[in-house]
Formats: sequence, structure tokens, C-alpha cells
Amino acid sequence: MKAKFSLFHLIFFFAFLLSGYTEPNFKAILKEIDNMNNFKESDFSATYTIVSEKPGEQTSVMKIQMFRRDREDKFLMLILQPEVQKGQGYLRIEDNVWFYDPESRKFSHSSLKENIQDSEAKNSDFKVSSLSEDYDVTSWQEDKLGRYDVYVVELEAKHSEVSYPKLKLWIRKDMNQVLKVENYSLSGRLMRTALYPPSYIKLGNRYLPSKMLFIDELREGEKSQVTLTDASLSSLPDYVFTKSYLERVSR
Amino acid sequence: MKYYGVAIRNLNRQKKRSFLLGGAIAFGILVVTLINSFSGSIITNVGENFSQLMAGHIFLTGHEKTSTGKTINVIREDKKIIDALRQNDLPIRYFHKRSAFSGYLIFEGESITQQITGVDWSREKFLKERLVIIKGSLEEMSDPRGIIVNQKVAEKLNIEIGETLLVQLKTVTDQYNVGEFRLVAVSYDPGIFASISAYANLSYVNELLNLKEGEYQTLGIFLSDIRLIDYTAEKIYKTLIQREVPLFPRTSSEEGEYFQSLSRDIRAQTWEDTKFRLFTLNDFLYQVRQMVNILNTIALVVLLILFLIIMIGITNTFRMVIYERTREIGTMRALGLQRKGVRNLFLMEALFLSLGGVLLGLLLSGLLMFILSRINFGMDTPMFIFLRQGHLTFAMDPVRLILNISIIAVLTLLAAFFPARKAAKMEPAQALGKYY
Repeated sequence: MKAKFSLFHLIFFFAFLLSGYTEPNFKAILKEIDNMNNFKESDFSATYTIVSEKPGEQTSVMKIQMFRRDREDKFLMLILQPEVQKGQGYLRIEDNVWFYDPESRKFSHSSLKENIQDSEAKNSDFKVSSLSEDYDVTSWQEDKLGRYDVYVVELEAKHSEVSYPKLKLWIRKDMNQVLKVENYSLSGRLMRTALYPPSYIKLGNRYLPSKMLFIDELREGEKSQVTLTDASLSSLPDYVFTKSYLERVSR
Repeated sequence: MKYYGVAIRNLNRQKKRSFLLGGAIAFGILVVTLINSFSGSIITNVGENFSQLMAGHIFLTGHEKTSTGKTINVIREDKKIIDALRQNDLPIRYFHKRSAFSGYLIFEGESITQQITGVDWSREKFLKERLVIIKGSLEEMSDPRGIIVNQKVAEKLNIEIGETLLVQLKTVTDQYNVGEFRLVAVSYDPGIFASISAYANLSYVNELLNLKEGEYQTLGIFLSDIRLIDYTAEKIYKTLIQREVPLFPRTSSEEGEYFQSLSRDIRAQTWEDTKFRLFTLNDFLYQVRQMVNILNTIALVVLLILFLIIMIGITNTFRMVIYERTREIGTMRALGLQRKGVRNLFLMEALFLSLGGVLLGLLLSGLLMFILSRINFGMDTPMFIFLRQGHLTFAMDPVRLILNISIIAVLTLLAAFFPARKAAKMEPAQALGKYY
């Protein structure tokens, strides 16, 4: 009995060692995920349609035109829908964010709200991704999500200046694409689940999820679906990231 | 002396006319006194209401810069500050430590934005006295996760005493956090300040904000007299500078842009450790002061416009009076009254008329103020901040009152001067021969 026990320990020890050797290079995987979502080499433009559902409220639809130039830390976000907000826009140049209201024809110094117009989608969902820089992998396992083989990776923030201190990612083994993300609070409570169904838009050598579903885990029944269309990596003229352009397109 | 008696007798002879003219003056002084007295109490009421809401007259906050340049609001070490407050001969009643955040209270799918203030209940006697508890008990705040929300919030969330609710917030470094509170008491709805009236334990609020034990965000100082704010703030500031406490410059509250410019500085500057900011209630009240000045200017303009109209009335009335009394003037002049005497007699009449009107106006305004101050407008009104416990209060500045009375007296004398001079210039023989 004693010998059996020791043998079990030996097997476990070797299995552990073996697993150590076969641990995927998550640093590289996270870097690849970051690269997939960052547009440092080229500009990026796309239209996002956000459909939000809240219990007891009518489904709301919002359409946003986004222009990004990550290498210069600039973006311009123009609201196309709903009608009452049409023409409103945000222009970000480095740390400065301006909000433009076509009604008053005025710019005001602003800060980006956490959530995009009361939806479950957050502004940070469309910003430069830095998972590999901001997080450490604390645990991982192999699993299946639907018909896909995935790594389930738990991440913990390296510092206290990232929005979510803990993340859990479901990463497709075959193409290092994130299928699901769980966002946890500092106290360890699940706050939000993001699902990225495997339907992609191919842009150069990247695959961008064409649909995203964000579920609020604190408020039952609140969710938002984001659809990406007209995505492009074509160069944008410099004037796109100016106040005068925002004024012009808002008319 | 003899003119006084004659002047009063003359006013008495035409009671109706004197009453109407005096009434017009009384109305003018009534309106102006009401405006002045209301604006006079605004600063005090707004100051007191704000000091209750913000829990202090003078405040100290700590600011740190993170490695990425983000500014966080925290006081980690306050020994030098507390020593400075204790050792000086300052009119401080007490001080307390608080932390606060704005977050979402969530209960069964309902969510509401609320500022939650963490307080040390063992030191916050004033808050305990001020909070009007409708349901539950303050004693239950011994539960570290206890929370007090106002009636409106409890109704919106449809939550009962003892039930647990979630709170979603961001820590001092902007990380998401979620906590759990247990509702222990429901307070009276403070109207427009309902969104900043939830209270919890300082230790748990700090935990949610990711602050360590003993750390906090704001040191609130209550003074024994609200009028000593600027004097005390200056003294504390100098003492802290002497004790080498790093402080942001304290520009005068009169500049108005203090908060905006300081926020810009905080964003732009970099520094080591904690840098402190000292500000007072008066810094917030700058705009209220501006409003009071505007109100007082409006009152003065109203006074001048009203009295221009009243002056025309007085001038016309006195011209009529002189026509009516031409023979009387002739008789007085024939009996030896000098021209100066005739003029002074009419001026005296005008002066008594204005003083009578002022007196009546002041009495009426006093009565009106008394009645208005008895009306309870309640706390759930946008005017709440200007009221004291839901009631209007009035405070007339004596200097302003003397100024108003002087303006009325001078304008009335001016209005009566030309008719009086005309009366004084009459020849006795001609005046005696006139019949109207």
C-alpha cells in the first residue's frame, strides 16, 4: 500500500514536470491577441452597431463610426444613430478628449464615459489592448468551449491601474482568438462576460470578431450585442482627427 | 422746532394724500428690504447647508501621482496635520476623516447612482444628530457592512431593512470593484442632495476603494464660528507650511477659478509622495456671493426706479399743495416768516413723509418676513440650499438699511426742493391775493 502511494506520487511528480514543459507560451499568445486588436502600423476605421437590452425597457440601437490612429493615440468617434444623438462625437488626441454637440455647435473638454451610451460595451473594449503588458497568467487549463478546444487562462493585473484586476480568458487553441472573457472585480466578483462568437472579418493577416456580446453579471438581463461592419485598415487623412472635421461631418 | 409741528400738522390735514404718498414710499422700501434681507441670509444659509452636507468648513485632501501619471486622492500619513490642528489656538470644534466614492447601488436588477460616504461613527456626533432616520436604526451601523440610504433610493431599489445590496464602484486607482452592503437604516430624503446622502462605515468604504487601514481621503474641519473660515484657513495653511507639509498654493476664493485652475495644475504637475490641498467652504460659495451681489444690485436698481417714479409723484403733489396753500404761504410770509422758513417747512413735510413711509415699509416688510419665514417649503425643493430647515430666513445688513433710508430721504427732499423753493420765492402780497 505504501509502495503504491509512493508510485502515485512519482507519477504525479512526473506529470507535473511534463505539464511544466508543455505549458504554452502564454506571454506570446497574449501578445498576439494584443497585436490582433491594436493598429499601430495602420489606421483603422469601422462601424459599430450596439443593440442593448435591459429588462423593462425598449431595446436600444446605437451606431457609431470609429476612426483610430493608435500610433498617435488618436481617435474620432461619431454617433450615427439614434436620431437624437446623431452628429455627436468624441475626438481624442493623446490625453485630451473633446465632446462635440451639433445642437450647440460647441466643443467641451470631456472624459470618455466607462460605458458607451448606457450599453454594456465599454470604451476600453475598443481601445489599445495591452494584456501581455498589464497581466500575469496565474493559472491555466485546457477545456472545450462548444466545439472548440480552448485554453482557459486566468490573469491577474501586475499593477493597480487596469480596470479589471482579474480576467479569465477562453482562447482558441488553433488560432489564438479569444472566444470568451470574464471580467472580475478587485473583490473577485464576476462583473461582466464578453463573448466573441467565431465569426471573423479578415483584415490583412488579422481576424477581427464581427460580433461581440457583453453580458452584465451584476444586473440580470442587461446585455449588449456589438456588430462590426465596414472595417478597414486603409490610411485615413490627417484632417480626420481634427475638430473641424468632426464639426463638418456632424452637419 | 416750530417747523416740525407745523409740518406734521400739514401732513395730517391731507391724510389721504399723505397716506398714498407715504404708501408708495413704503412699498418701495418694502420691496427693497425684502430683496436685501433675503440675499443677506443666502450666504449664511447656503454656507450652513453646505457645511452640513460636506461635513466641515475647512477641508484637506491628499493627492498622489502614480508611476503612470494618474492622480489619486488619498491621505496616508496625517500626523503633522493633526498635530498642527491640535497645537494651535484655533477655533476648531472638531475634525473628522472621511472617504467617499460614487458608484451604483444594485438590488434585484434595479440600479441607482449614489455617492457613498464612509464615516467613523464614533467621531461623527454631528451627523448622527442631523440624520433623520425613518426606518431601521443607527445603532446597526456597528455592522461593518451596514449602509444608510435615503427614502427615495430605498423606494427606487425596493429594498427593505436587513436586505443585502451590491455596490459597483471604482477604486482610487480606477479599478472596478464590487462590494456588498446590508441596509440598516433609511433616512429622510434630503431633496436635491439625495444622490450624496448614503453613509457607510469608513473602514469598509476604504476597503472598497482599495485603501489601507488608517488611510482616508478628506479631513473635514468644523469651526466654532462659520465667519472665521478665512482667518482659520490662513492660519492652518501657514502652520502646515512651517511644518514642511507639501501643499498646493492657496489662491484667494475671490478669484473664482480656483478649483478649475487647481485641477489643471494637479493634472499637469508631478511630485513625490503626498501633496495636500486646503480649501474652504468659501471657495465653493464664490458663485453664491456673486449671486448675492447681483441680487443686491437688482434691489438697488429697483429702489432707484421706484423712487424716480415716486419722486415725480412727490414733485407734482407738492406743486399742487403749494397752489392750494398759496394764501396760507402769503399769510405766513406777511406775519414775518422768512423765505428760508417757507422752504424748510415744505422740505420738513417731505422729510417726515418719507420717514413715515420708510417706517411703514419697514413694519410691513418685517410682518411679511415673519409670515414668509413661518411657511415650511420642505426639504424636497430646489430652493432647499437657500433655506434653513425648509424655512426662508431674512437678515438685513444695517449699513445697507441706512444706505437705503438715506437714498429715500435725499430723493424725497430733492423731489420736494423745487416746489418748496418756488413757494419760498412768493411775494406775500401777491400770494394773499390769489384765489384758486
